[in-house]
Amino acid sequence: MAVDQRTLDEAAMWAVRTSEPDFADWPAFTDWLEASPAHAEAYDRAMIAAEDGARALDSIPANDPEWSEEEEESSPRRWLAPALAACLAILAALWLWPAGDAGMTYSTAPGETREIALEDGSTVLLAGDTEIVIDGNRQARLNSGRALFEIRHDEGEPFRLAVGDAQLVDAGTVFEVAIRDAAVAVGVAEGAVIYNPGGPAARIDPGEVLHFDRGDGGYRIETVPLEQVGEWREGRLTFRDAPLAEVASDLSRVTGIAYRTADRGRDRSISGSVAIDPLRRDPAALGPLLGIEVRQDGDVWVLDGS
Amino acid sequence: MAHSGDPHDGLEAVFLANRETLLRFLVARGAGDNAEDILQDVWLRISRGKAGPIAAPLAYLYRAANAAMIDRYRSARQAELRDAAWSEGHGGATIGVSDSPSAERVVAGRQLAARVEEALAPLPERAVAVFRRSRIDGVTQRVIAGEFGVSISTVESDLRLVYRALAELRERLDEV
Repeated sequence: MAVDQRTLDEAAMWAVRTSEPDFADWPAFTDWLEASPAHAEAYDRAMIAAEDGARALDSIPANDPEWSEEEEESSPRRWLAPALAACLAILAALWLWPAGDAGMTYSTAPGETREIALEDGSTVLLAGDTEIVIDGNRQARLNSGRALFEIRHDEGEPFRLAVGDAQLVDAGTVFEVAIRDAAVAVGVAEGAVIYNPGGPAARIDPGEVLHFDRGDGGYRIETVPLEQVGEWREGRLTFRDAPLAEVASDLSRVTGIAYRTADRGRDRSISGSVAIDPLRRDPAALGPLLGIEVRQDGDVWVLDGS
Repeated sequence: MAHSGDPHDGLEAVFLANRETLLRFLVARGAGDNAEDILQDVWLRISRGKAGPIAAPLAYLYRAANAAMIDRYRSARQAELRDAAWSEGHGGATIGVSDSPSAERVVAGRQLAARVEEALAPLPERAVAVFRRSRIDGVTQRVIAGEFGVSISTVESDLRLVYRALAELRERLDEV
């Protein structure tokens, strides 16, 4: 059932494209699949091959000389001789290999959300334009963006989240972390989170949000209505005395719409609560809600607070 | 679990409006007569889950349908290989179906890792490094392009090279 070269090329191309989180051209992919009944299988094969290939590569560190030397000793012919059974066993073994998500990086495109279910029943919900590395069930590092954590508490092995040099440790918890350049906000809805347990620690209780600076580690705690922690999950964002530039970047992240601020009025302080879905239909609807001017400039929506 | 609220209602509207399109996609993906059932399964799983607001609902539904087809392909192949291995009656046949990660399985995994390495050896080093970042670390093409200081289309063609080499390796192994 050899597949012709062109089909192989095209299958590899579609496998690469559809693996991107923001791939959108599904109709064109459908057209390609319909062009030949062999395409679907070639695509499936490429997808599985990439997945298994990655897993195999992951088991050997980059540029590790050990395996190549070992393999050179046995000739390909000798390896192929016991053929079928050995091959099948190898493939079956690989396919049955537990996926294992140690040190897995997850990321989202702007406007996308993604839920990651950990084996212990905890979940992490990523807002758009967010990257997190999850190492096992109880450790993670938030590199950028915004995420809501619902963590199953375990006294013996608390969940630890790293943000830059700062450490957050849960104490039975639903909490949200949002990174905006150097500024990080940690809001708690249930339970508690300990900020920097190693150093001068601070405890964040439900209804509180701790703002810290990734550079100097300095922090302050404010109160926040409980329902506003992770409210983007319910399709809403609330701003209280937030600079317009922050409003623009937060909204871009959750809607996928490119909001920017005009040169003037970037620091104007904004308060208001915004439903996200209507903005997807009409990005300019933001104007009357927040008392600012919104104008379109190509793909970009410019927020003018002056 | 009962869920209510806007995210699902919006998604459901998109699902209902695009049912035929999604069915056509599943048929093209090789679902045949099972397309209806598979689509129903996909929707049930989505509607039972906890959905946040979804920016591109139709793309989301396509992706879920595509993932369901890949899962089906994978489990069909596993079953096929297991059956073939059993009926061959060779001593090694139980290796793959053993419940515990035995020493043999570790060795088998290593041998395949070596085959993969061998298949990728002729490719440019950058292509393999890009593939690692993409598939092992889960980094997007846009971010990888920034890291390597190349364009997104270069990243895509690097990935295509590696996917292609792996698909060819898979084909060779399947045909033995």
